[in-house]
Formats: sequence, C-alpha cells, structure tokens
Amino acid sequence: MEPEQDYLRRLADIDARVEQARADPEVVLGRAAGLLAGRTGCRVDEAHAHLLRLAAEREGDVGKTAADVLAALEGGRTPHEPDRLRAMTDTVLRTPSRDRHPQPPGPGHLPGPAVAPGPAVAPGPAVPPGNGSPPVGSGWADIVQQVLDAVPGSHTALMPVRDRAGRIEDYVFAAVSPSVVDLSGRRGTQIVGRRMSETYPTIVNGPVWEIWEKSIADGLPREVGPVPYVSPSDRAPAGVTFTVRVQPVGPGLLNSWIRHDEEARLAERIDQTERLGNLGWGEWDLITGDIVWSEGLYRIYERDPADGPMPSAESDALTVPEDVPLRQQAVEMFGRGQTVDVSYRIRVSGRIKHIRTIVDAVRGTDGRPVRIYGIVQDVTAGETSRAKLAEVEQQLREHQRSLAAEHRLAVQLQQIVLPIPETPFDLAGLRVAVRYLPAEKASQVGGDWYHAAAAGDGSVVLAVGDVAGHGLQAAAAMAQLRHAMAALAVTTTSDPAELLTHLNRLLYTARSAAEPMPVTATAVVARYDPPTGALRWAQAGHPAPLRARAGVTVELDRPEGPLLGAFPGARYDTATVTFVPGDLLLFYTDGLIEHRDRTLEEGLAPIVATLDRVSGEHNQQPLAELLSQLRHANPDDDACILAARPLPAVTGRGGGDG
Amino acid sequence: MDAVSVNTVPGGALHVVLRGEIDFTNSAWVRKVICDAVAEQRPPAVRVEMAEVAFLDSSGIGMLVDVMRAAGEADAAFRVEHPTSRVYDQLRTAGLLAAFGLP
Repeated sequence: MEPEQDYLRRLADIDARVEQARADPEVVLGRAAGLLAGRTGCRVDEAHAHLLRLAAEREGDVGKTAADVLAALEGGRTPHEPDRLRAMTDTVLRTPSRDRHPQPPGPGHLPGPAVAPGPAVAPGPAVPPGNGSPPVGSGWADIVQQVLDAVPGSHTALMPVRDRAGRIEDYVFAAVSPSVVDLSGRRGTQIVGRRMSETYPTIVNGPVWEIWEKSIADGLPREVGPVPYVSPSDRAPAGVTFTVRVQPVGPGLLNSWIRHDEEARLAERIDQTERLGNLGWGEWDLITGDIVWSEGLYRIYERDPADGPMPSAESDALTVPEDVPLRQQAVEMFGRGQTVDVSYRIRVSGRIKHIRTIVDAVRGTDGRPVRIYGIVQDVTAGETSRAKLAEVEQQLREHQRSLAAEHRLAVQLQQIVLPIPETPFDLAGLRVAVRYLPAEKASQVGGDWYHAAAAGDGSVVLAVGDVAGHGLQAAAAMAQLRHAMAALAVTTTSDPAELLTHLNRLLYTARSAAEPMPVTATAVVARYDPPTGALRWAQAGHPAPLRARAGVTVELDRPEGPLLGAFPGARYDTATVTFVPGDLLLFYTDGLIEHRDRTLEEGLAPIVATLDRVSGEHNQQPLAELLSQLRHANPDDDACILAARPLPAVTGRGGGDG
Repeated sequence: MDAVSVNTVPGGALHVVLRGEIDFTNSAWVRKVICDAVAEQRPPAVRVEMAEVAFLDSSGIGMLVDVMRAAGEADAAFRVEHPTSRVYDQLRTAGLLAAFGLP
C-alpha cells in the first residue's frame, strides 16, 4: 500500500474516534455551552441552563439540541473531503515544491518552514532584523532551510564567502536545523546569517575548515572527526568531541554534526527521568504507522518490551469503565487541535493505576496530525497517598466528633456525680475545701473523685481517688467508687482499711465482667476523730497526703496497700497521725504532681513550698489561700485536691471562711 | 519503633519489650497485643522488659496489672524487669513491686 493511503487510513481512524467522542452527549453539551458562553458573553453555567431550557421547549433530546447549536455556531466546519486531504498529504510528505514560494524572498526575510508552526514544531528561523550580517536570501538557502526543518538531526548549511580574488575567506550559516542548540546555548535561529569566523572563531583554519575547502573544490562528501570542540565560552562543557559529515549541496555545504556522547547521554537522561518521574513516552508516526514505546511506558503498562508496543485498542480497554468519559473528552480535545492533559485510571495486572497522559501532535499546515506524542506518568503513588490521607482525615474527624461527644457526656456525668463545692465547708471539727483542676484537653476528663462527709459514728471520712484512664469509662468507674464509698461510710464502716478492702473487691469484680479495658484505681482514705485529733488513714496505690505544720510540710509515711482492682485479696494497712488546729492536710491525685518531663519529687516541690508558706503565715483563710495557689503540673491530666484543717474546739464556728 | 514488641525466647517464655511512653493513648493497644500473645501461646512465663520506658501513666499501670492478670489466668509466671527509677517509684507507690517480681 502507498504510504499516503496508510496515512489517510490512520487519519480517518482518528477522525472517527474524534467524531465518536464529539457525539458523546455530555461532550456535545459541554462544548455547545462553552461556545455559546463565549459568543454571548454569559457564564458557562448560564449557557448550560439555557441549552437545557431550549431542549425542553423543543421537547427534544438535549444532545441533539446541543449538536444543532454547535452546528449553528461553528458554521463553516465542513468534513474533510478525500481530495482535499490528499492534497494536504502531498504537501506534508513531499519535498516542498518551489511553487509554494513563487516569489524569491527578499533580503532579510526567510520563508517559514515546510511544516507550519504548531505546538510541537519549533518556529522557523528568521534573521534578526538589522543584525548587519550579509543577507542569505537565496532560493537555495530557503529550500535547504525547509529541508532542515523537516528532517531530524542537527545540520547546518554553509555558504562560502569569497574575497575579490574568489578565494574562500569565510562561511555564512545559510540554514540551521531548528533543533540545533550549540554548546553555548545558542539556537539555530540565532546563528542563521552569521559568519563562521565571528560565531565559532576556533573553527577557522582547523581540521573542519580544511575539509570544507576541499569539498567545495572537488564536490565530494567528507567526514572528519572525532574533533574536539573548543569553545571561547565558559558555558560549554569540556571534552566534547564531534564527527562532522560534510556533503556539498548546490553552491554550499551541508554539515551533519554528531556529538559523540550524544546518544548515550540522551538515553541515560531519558531513562533517569523516566525512572525518577514514573514517566514513559510513546510516539505514533501516522505516516509510517510506527509506534514507539519508551522503557518507562513498558514499565507502566507492565509489558515485556519484547512484545512491542500495545495496540491502542488493547490499551484503551484497560481504562476503568468510570473513567472512559474522561478519555472521550480527551479525544474530543485532541480533535480540536488542543494539547490533551488527562488523568484516568487503568487496570494493569489486577491493580488500579492512576495515569496522567499528555498528548500532543506535530501537525501539518492544515492542522492535520502527522505524528502523535504522548507522555504518560504513573501518578498512583500520589493518588494513593492522597486518598489515604483523605481517609485518615475522615477517620480523624469522626474520632474527634465521638471524642467531643464523649467529653460532653463525661463532663456532665462528673458534674452530676461529683459536684464541687465552691467555698470551704465545715464538718464535725473540720473545715474542708475541694478543688478540681480539669485536664486542658477535651478528651481527657478523668476519673478523679473526692469524698468528705460525716460517717455514721461521728467521725469524718475524707478521701480522694483516681481511676486509671480517661473518658466515659473512667468517669463511670469514678461514679461507682464514690457512691459505694459514701454508702459504706454511713452504713458499714468508717475504718479506712476496711473501706479500701470493700472498694477493691468492688472494682476487681467489675473488672471480671466483660469490660473492654478493665479498670484500676488508686485512693487514699482517712478517718478523723474530732475528740482526739487522731487521723487514721490507709491508701491503695496512692500518693501519701501532705501535712503542713508551722511552715514545715511532711509527706505522711505510707502504710502498705496496692492499687484497687489488681488483687482479689489485697490487704490494706493503716497509719495514724495527729491532726491539730493550725495544721493543714492536703490530699491530691497525681495529676497535681505528675509530669512526663519531671520526676515526682520535682513535681511535688512547688506544692510543698506553697504548703510551707501558707502554713507558716498567719492567715485567716489558709484553705482558700492554698487552693488558689496550687496549679497542676500536667495539663494532660485532671487533678483533684482536698485540703482540710481542724477547727479550734472552743471557738466552734470561729475563724475565717478558709 | 513500636511501643511494644513481643518475642518468644528459648524455653517458651514470652518476652515483652515496652518502649517510650506508655499512656492512655496507647495502653489499650499495648494491652491487646500482649494479652493476645498470652492467650495464643500459653507461655510458661511472661517477662516485661521496661528499661526503655520513659513514662508510664495510670493507664499504663492499669495495662500492666491486666497483663499480670491475664498471665495468672494462663498459669504463667509474671515479671517486670529493669524499670527506670522513676517507673520503679510509680510501681512502688501503686503497691505492685512484689506482684511484679521486683525487690
């Protein structure tokens, strides 16, 4: 088959696909709305709404209406008749005929290249106006330039410049391949029309220069090289060698410059780029029908290079069904001569890959594609991490919502179970003040509690406790412990060790029920006997209370006792200290002193210092003073503080409020 | 590095290594990892290496208590090893030294 016929067939295939994409009602509607908006100056969504209205009025199909509007707006777009196509194909395929430029170009002007400027074609050379170089305005230069524009590679066409005696004194660049970028970064268009001696002075009288003279003289082609490139410019890399092929053509010389490291360098660069960027490129020559895939493209499609490029029908079929419309739109864009940039998903070896494809074409003078290039990037990693991120964010939001709800509930529960009196209050012979320092973070409402009430036998029972953990479960356990404590102290016993034994059994048994995270708790319980001033106390894994007397604070020696909920038969010992008017007693939970960056001693020191000071001063309201000065060490944890002082027996209700 | 790793040592003991901060943010998960291993392997002993634990909060202590109980239910000896002085103080305060095999 003739190459022209093959080419026509491929174009017809592309046309058919573009037409098919155009027929897609969504695409048609989108285009019609866009075009309508552009013509009328309204917004695209308004145009869109208008088209829908119009279709409704005509009781017609939206796609048909949109197609009619498109046809009306685009007017003269006619199908390509085969004859016209053939004529166009001729112009593209054949060496440009002289009659395309019937007028010999004047000085300072070079005609455009055979292939009209398109997105992927470098603009044709032009001599910068007024650069003072000798004009190269011959028909020969014009034709050679057109040839160089059409053929790959780096070529320069030189025209000898002769002195009065007819000897060659210099060469002028008559035409240069558009791809030429010399080692100083100059492009072909910057070189055309310049003299060799001023552009590359190192060439003059060198080995290349010599064979030019010979080839001009005898009309025979020659090759020289590798010759080292020596540049006056610092920007040129050192150690680059060239082979120059010299071919006499008409009155001048055609030079093909082959950079020796070029091929390896390019291949390496492309390979690295492809690997680093998960890239691949493909090329479809519509004239020859050749399809070329790069290594990277084989990698992306997980195809053995030995099998050759995948037929396009086969690669199209890999697109996931939901993304087929995206591809359709892309084909339609391509049909309008636009560069396509589309992302869609393909299924390769059972896995979904996100693919970004950029497609462009080298087009003939009539806009018909001659060669199609595609750059394909596997963006799956980015898409996957983006999707994962979104998923995690969603989970985080849900988690935060549930935490916030739990926090609200825990706060409410705590307020119901554990109302904190705002001012100090009196029990038999004691004045007591309580302060609760909530955790700063919403999620961390804890299970701290206190108890201060008269027992059934005339004594006073004081306690603070701390349920391990945070949130609703801790708050629920706290409620259980506190209510049990209140009930036991009134009905059963005021003995601290017995009270703890009961609480331990309660918590240990609760743990056995199918709790998701079993609960432990610590507590300190004291029984104050007003007539004797004796304070008998016990603890379950809890920090000892502090007693301050006349500016000196001591941590009471702890009797034995493990935390609550750990051992079924845990034993709790008791200790007794005297507690007399003027003394201050402080119970606290570890949120007051515990901090992950400090030792417990370091956390305790400021509390002890405050107690020393308050108990050493003569203060009318020591409890209020003390509680106002205590800050908790750990904003992550809540803390409960209970302070007490014996009231002087004779004065009864005397003294201040604190 | 995960806060917990679990290995079976020659002789069949479960060797648990805890690291970093064990607190309310991770103690439920750490507990599950260890208790699952105990239930699955039924080891004769569970040893918890704590040299690399910088901080333990009440949830972390609760977790250790629960692992101790799980070990007890599986008839496995339970021991905590090499706590830092700070963690040691916390375990002493909690009254857990003897039960954790610490002096």
